Amino acid sequence: MPARSSRALWIVVGILLLPPIVVPLLVGLYAKEDPTLWGFPFYYWFQFLLIPCAAAFTVTAYYLAKEAVRRDRAAKGLPDLDARGERR
Amino acid sequence: MNAVAVTVFAFLFLLVTVMGFAAARWRRAEALDNLDEWGLGGRGFGTFIAWFLIGGDIYTAYTFIAVPATLYAGSVVGFFAVPYTIVVYPIIFAFLPRLWSVSHRHGFVTPADFVQGRYGSKGLGLAVAVTGIVATMPYIALQLVGMQVVLQVMGLQSSSDNWFVKDLPLFIAFVILAAYTYSSGLRAPALIAFVKDTLIYIVIIVAVIYIPHHIGGWAHIFDTAKSSFSDFNTTNADAIAAGKAQGKGIIPPPAAHWAYASLALGSALALFMYPHSVTGVLSTRSRNVIRRNASLLPAYSFLLGLLALLGFVAIAAGVKVTNPQQAVPQLFENEFSPWFAGVAYAAIVIGALVPAAIMSIAAANLWTRNIYKAFIKPDATPAQEAQQSKLISLVVKFGALIFVLALSKDFAINLQLLGGVWILQTLPAIVGGLYTRWFHRWALLAGWAAAMIWGTWLAYDVASPTQAHFGGPLTNFPGTQTKVYIALIAFGLNLIVAVVGTLVLRALKVADGVDVTRLEDYSVDAGDTGVEAELTPETPLH
Repeated sequence: MPARSSRALWIVVGILLLPPIVVPLLVGLYAKEDPTLWGFPFYYWFQFLLIPCAAAFTVTAYYLAKEAVRRDRAAKGLPDLDARGERR
Repeated sequence: MNAVAVTVFAFLFLLVTVMGFAAARWRRAEALDNLDEWGLGGRGFGTFIAWFLIGGDIYTAYTFIAVPATLYAGSVVGFFAVPYTIVVYPIIFAFLPRLWSVSHRHGFVTPADFVQGRYGSKGLGLAVAVTGIVATMPYIALQLVGMQVVLQVMGLQSSSDNWFVKDLPLFIAFVILAAYTYSSGLRAPALIAFVKDTLIYIVIIVAVIYIPHHIGGWAHIFDTAKSSFSDFNTTNADAIAAGKAQGKGIIPPPAAHWAYASLALGSALALFMYPHSVTGVLSTRSRNVIRRNASLLPAYSFLLGLLALLGFVAIAAGVKVTNPQQAVPQLFENEFSPWFAGVAYAAIVIGALVPAAIMSIAAANLWTRNIYKAFIKPDATPAQEAQQSKLISLVVKFGALIFVLALSKDFAINLQLLGGVWILQTLPAIVGGLYTRWFHRWALLAGWAAAMIWGTWLAYDVASPTQAHFGGPLTNFPGTQTKVYIALIAFGLNLIVAVVGTLVLRALKVADGVDVTRLEDYSVDAGDTGVEAELTPETPLH
């Protein structure tokens, strides 16, 4: 694949990393008891739910960043790390 | 004391002891007599090992004891540990790969090495190193507090008045830890971390499934905790109104929202300023491992949240202890059959050994690189550096031990609180330096100094119902009645001083040191020029 700009990808990575930082800090959003789920007050189950959601954002960011790094390296003429067959 | 529980505990402890010593041969290197090998485990850990190692850094025995203890005591703000461990990963994702790259290109072992190289200032490096050491020491001491609590509940503490005889089991455990850390370096905690996490996962999963089922389900647990707290609030209404006692609850009141959010954010920012976290990160094989780990590590947050809730479970199960820190071990003692209680105790104690080992290695590396080599013996050979680190790792650990045994435990907890405030003040130099060389080195030093002093003073001024000073991590944000984490307030001052100072010093054209790093150093990966992979691809166990 020819080297393409990675700028847009890096911007998306940055945007993806924002919600997992900001949402858990908005305590007013979730500091309440109802609705409960399996006996857990909202406050507790919502924060548990945030964990996989945040992970989904960081995992997506991880794959995009990997592609962005690949393009950056190609643009600089550096070897493609994945193509070397090394386990990464 | 229960013979079955103690036997199971002793067996598991023995197992990790053997592993700790055998670790010297694991992923064997030519020689262990340099810091890359002893202090960073050969810089060759892949995703799998790094996950356990970094997890071992963040989720320590003290966390396992203290977080549920705060919930048990009715202070729901303690649950901030969950948002904290959510927020921390995107932050790691963003800046630690850059630290990895620049550290590999230049052979940096500690965060202070990077600061020294980036700003051409041994003084600034020294400030970062000293902060790291003094913030880490009480953290190690707290791991001992965690172990001590478990040994107490197990009945392994004799009733002697002599502090040494009384805590002899703790002392023995620590001597063993010190011995294998000395001989195996970072490989020991990396290998033991597998056992630690396997045990902890088993114990927590059993605890959060079996115990709640046994005592009437989660709805019942939350109801019991809630009614117990509101009974407390009714009985002590006058004391609470007079500020002599804290109101309790299971949902934070609006007044505590900022406290909760600022504790989560401040702790997340501070975590990867701790030298032991950086040690874990620099021991990885490639920068990709860090990003992949940042996306995998949240699995631990789930564990931590469930564990925190054991504080409420203990209330519902009728656990009555005067020291809330004993709530969870006591719960295990009451609810589990003796052999599984033994497994649970071992899980917590081994959970203390792993971080204590990593922390002492990290503190020792700081001493060696940024004080010994920088100021005392600039021509130290790699072998001398490793020897120095090994010795200091012993000093650090025994210092922490004496601290806990001979001095007050509260003192260690106060210092740990201060440690969090202090360590965050190294962020502008480290993270700022990863992205820009704009900050002037003396401005960073001034910001650091101002924030250290102010933060300490703010913490000193906090009174609690039981303590006149160092009563908690929160204080009113200047000019408001809103309680905020002290570390973040001091950090604000730090940034202001650093920015204003930089503008002034730049205007005065004060020399700002030689930067040994170059722009491309921040994105290099394993295998690039100057970044040799330390281990051959055939190395077993990824």
